Amino acid sequence: MDNREPAIIRLEKVNMIYPSGTVALRNCSLEIEKGEFAFIVGSSGSGKSTLIKTLLGEVSTTSGCVEVAGRNLSEMTRKQLPYYRRKLGVVFQEFRLLDELTVFENVALAQRVVGVSRERRRRNSMAVLDLVGLAQKKKAYPRELSGGEQQRAAIARAMVNKPAILLADEPTGNLDPENSWEIMGLLEDVHQLGTTVLVVTHNDDIVNKMQKRVIALHKGQIINDEQQGGYVQ
Amino acid sequence: MSTIWYGLKQGVKSIFQNKIFSLAAIGTITACLFLLGVFYVLFSNFQHMVHNAESTVAIVVFFEESLSQDRIDEIGRQIQACHPVEKVEFVSGGEAWERFKQEMLGSDQELIDTFGSDNPLAASASYEVYLNDVSKQAEMVEYIRGLSGVRKVNGSANTADSFSSFNMLIGYVSISIIALLLLVSIFLISSAVAMGINVRKDEIAIMKLIGATDLFVRLPFLVEGVTMGLIGAGIPLGILRLMYGQVIVFIRAHFANLTEWLTFVEAEKEFQVLVPLCLGVGIGIGLLGSATSVRKHLQV
Ligand SMILES: Nc1ncnc2c1ncn2[C@@H]1O[C@H](COP(=O)(O)OP(=O)(O)O)[C@@H](O)[C@H]1O
Ligand SMILES: [Mg+2]
Repeated sequence: MDNREPAIIRLEKVNMIYPSGTVALRNCSLEIEKGEFAFIVGSSGSGKSTLIKTLLGEVSTTSGCVEVAGRNLSEMTRKQLPYYRRKLGVVFQEFRLLDELTVFENVALAQRVVGVSRERRRRNSMAVLDLVGLAQKKKAYPRELSGGEQQRAAIARAMVNKPAILLADEPTGNLDPENSWEIMGLLEDVHQLGTTVLVVTHNDDIVNKMQKRVIALHKGQIINDEQQGGYVQ
Repeated sequence: MSTIWYGLKQGVKSIFQNKIFSLAAIGTITACLFLLGVFYVLFSNFQHMVHNAESTVAIVVFFEESLSQDRIDEIGRQIQACHPVEKVEFVSGGEAWERFKQEMLGSDQELIDTFGSDNPLAASASYEVYLNDVSKQAEMVEYIRGLSGVRKVNGSANTADSFSSFNMLIGYVSISIIALLLLVSIFLISSAVAMGINVRKDEIAIMKLIGATDLFVRLPFLVEGVTMGLIGAGIPLGILRLMYGQVIVFIRAHFANLTEWLTFVEAEKEFQVLVPLCLGVGIGIGLLGSATSVRKHLQV
C-alpha cells in the first residue's frame, strides 16, 4: 500500500488551447508533493505562464484533469474560485503592487480581501513584512522602492494569508543578479517554513546552483523532469 | 462588515477620481429629478385646484313651468342614480330669490323694496348637481337635457374640459422629458463607472487573484453609482424645498384676484411624496447605471 500523502498539485493529460488556436499546453502530466520546491523552465512561449494561470483558475483547460489541494479545478464554480485562490500565493515579474497604496497597505489589502479584522490585519502584515525584511519601509510607496524591495513586498502580500502553495512567474525577470539571489533566498525561506513553492524562471545560473527539482517545458510539452536537475535549454 | 466599509470608501473615492463624468452624471440626474419634482408639484397642485373647483362647479337644472312636484322628485332620483353624481340639491323658487337678493342686490334695501312681496323667480325652482368627476360633466348635461320635464340645463362645461386636457398635456410632456433624462442619466452613470473600472483594471485583476469575491470587487462601483444617484436626488430636493414656499407667495402676490381659485398643497404633504420618490428614482438610476457597467466590464 502506498501511504504517501496525495500530491498537492496533480495534472493529468492536460491540454490547453487558447481561443486563437494556439496550443499552450500539450498532454501535460505532473505531480508535485506537498512541501516541494520546483523550478519550471523553458524558452519564451513554451507555456510556463499558461501553466501558472491554469493553476490559478485564470484560464481553463481544454481537456485533462487539474487537481490542486484536493480540488478538481474543472468542477469549480465561479463562486468557489475566490475561496480556492486564497490557498495560493502568487508573485509576478512586474510585481503588480498597487501604486497608490503603501507597502503595508498593499500587504494588508490581501487580508482585507479575505475579511480579516483590522487588528489582526495589522499584526499579520507586520509579521510577514518582518520576514521579508521590509518592516522599516512599511510606509513607503512602491515607486520609492528598488525592484528587489518591490518584489519582497509582493512576496509579503502573497504570503500574508499563509497559503499552502506559492506560485512565482519569473520573479527575478526584472532584477539584477544580486537582487535575484536575494529573492530566491527568500523563496527558499518560504519553502523552509513548509510552503509548496513553484518558480518559473529563465535564470540558468540560479537553477544550476540551487539543485532543486526542474521541470522543463518545450512548445507546451513537459520534455524533462528531474530531482536536483540543472537548467534545460 | 469590513467589505461594506471598504466598498463605501472606494466607491466615494472613485467619484472624485473621475470628476468630469461623475459631475455630468450628477448634473443630469439633478436636472431629471428637478423636472420630475416640478412636474409633480404642478400636477398635484392642479389636481388640488381642480378638486376644489369640482366641489364648486355645479350643473343647474331648471324645469318646465307647472311641472308636478312628483315629477320633479323623480327627476331628482334619476340624476342621483347616475354614477358621477356626488349630490343633488333642490333649490326652491323662494330660496333662489333669497340668494339672488343677497348676492346681486346686496344691501340695496330700496331696490329690494321695489319688488315688494313678489317673487320674480317663483317659477325658478332648480336642482344643483355636484359631480365627483368633473370630466363627466358634458355627458351628464346631455343626459339631463334628455329627461322629460327639464327646460334648461346650465353647465360650465368649458372650465371642466380645459382642466382635464391641460392635465393630460402636462402628463405626456413631462413623462417624455423625464424618460429621456432618465435614460441619459443611466447612460452617464454607467459611463462614469466604466471609466472607474478601466482606471482600476490592474487593481481589480490583482484583487481577484488574491481571492477577492465578486461582491468585494463590485461593491465599490455599485456604491459609486448609488452615491451619484443620491447626490443627484438631494440637490433638486433641496432646491424645490427652498423654492416651493417662495413661489406660492409670489403667485399669491401677483394673482391676487384669483386667490379663490389658487389653493395650494401644503409643502409637507408635497415632500412626503417627493422625498421618497426622488431618492428612490436616484438610487434606482444609480444602481441600474452601475450594474450595467459592472456586468459588462467585470466579467473576468
Ligand atoms: N491570452 C492568450 N491568447 C492567445 N494565445 C496566448 C495567450 N497567452 C499566451 N498565448 C500563447 O500561448 C503560448 C504560451 O504562452 P505562455 O504560457 O505565456 O508562455 P511562456 O510563459 O512560457 O512564455 C504562446 O504561444 C503564446 O503566444
Ligand atoms: Mg510567461
